[in-house]
Amino acid sequence: MNPTRAETDDELLFRIQSGDEQAFMALYQRRQAALYRFALHMTGSPAIAEDVIQEVFLTVLREGCGYDPGRGTLSGYLFGIVRKLVLRRAERERSDVPLGPDIEETKLADSNVESDPLLDLTRREGIENLRRAVQALPRRYREVVVLCDLEEVDYADAAIALGCPIGTVRSRLHRARGLLLDKLTHERSPRQAVNAWKPARCLT
Amino acid sequence: MNCQEFWNAMPELDREADHQHVRECAACAVRMARERELAAGLRAMATSYRRVAAPGRVEKQLRAAFRARMGVGQAWRVQGGWRLVFPWTAAAAAVVALAVFMVGGRQPSAPAPRAEMAVAASAADGQGEYDGFIALPNAGRLADTEDVNLVRVEVPRSAMMALGLEVSPERASELVEADVMIGPDGLARAVRFVDSDTL
Repeated sequence: MNPTRAETDDELLFRIQSGDEQAFMALYQRRQAALYRFALHMTGSPAIAEDVIQEVFLTVLREGCGYDPGRGTLSGYLFGIVRKLVLRRAERERSDVPLGPDIEETKLADSNVESDPLLDLTRREGIENLRRAVQALPRRYREVVVLCDLEEVDYADAAIALGCPIGTVRSRLHRARGLLLDKLTHERSPRQAVNAWKPARCLT
Repeated sequence: MNCQEFWNAMPELDREADHQHVRECAACAVRMARERELAAGLRAMATSYRRVAAPGRVEKQLRAAFRARMGVGQAWRVQGGWRLVFPWTAAAAAVVALAVFMVGGRQPSAPAPRAEMAVAASAADGQGEYDGFIALPNAGRLADTEDVNLVRVEVPRSAMMALGLEVSPERASELVEADVMIGPDGLARAVRFVDSDTL
């Protein structure tokens, strides 16, 4: 039997565990891109994201891979594995997720801060500024924005992937959007931000 | 609904909808406009990443891994009911074990008769065949409950000579695929040549 669009992930997984290569490749084709992008957004490294994707699908091949259909979808489970692998990498390298050399604050300052970033988000520079802002978010907020806003994962699956209640997903998303708005607005007037730290008087 | 209640429920609300609270609250109207801009930006960002996917080599590597793990192992699950384990280190062990066997089997002093005797002896006591596998000479018998690893390797056809199989001399140096059965002790127990009928 050839895999078809109508087949669910669970049906494909059942066939995979029966040794069906076509089912394995069908599941890979269906899910790899979103999983890869999630890993890429979380690590900033295509090489690490590639390694993570390989590990995720090798996990699927193992008997008793840990997936329980009663607890959520296979998609949510796979996102959860990506997240764990990314965290493991980060712990191993003793650093939180790297932001990449292209999102240093100096370069953010070089961006076109005279225009209103909130009115320009859908333009190329606006998207780039937004990407930097997303990557500069703390991990717990970045992962929920990437899952729910960029990959359009529903809250239930996001909760499975993040290992937290749905309410936590909602609150983190709310907070993350607020942080993004603050950051983008802040960049609009960097001099005001600098002036806010300007000492009122010298104490020495 | 006050401002706090409205924003607490925001993730579930449709940002594009015309909310009564936003119509009545100027501050929330401004904030809602900003949220909508952000949402549009995130959608545009998602669109810009839509074509980003794992490189094609990942698919090839996973397909190879699938064949190594599932394709070979499945036959054994049906045949013997043995539990399967797939440590990657078994591949190295198989190559080493088979190489040791081949070196021993290709001694200049009449290797073929010795191998034929070994195969014949194994067959006589019922341990020569495991679903197309040929027990290696002096290899211990596997119990049905023991874990086995199956590893596919490439070896010269001359390795088949050491097991008493006929190989034309001009093809002796050609590579042939073989499945090597590794016992729980890491020693090679049996081998099956994948295309042994095309000698």
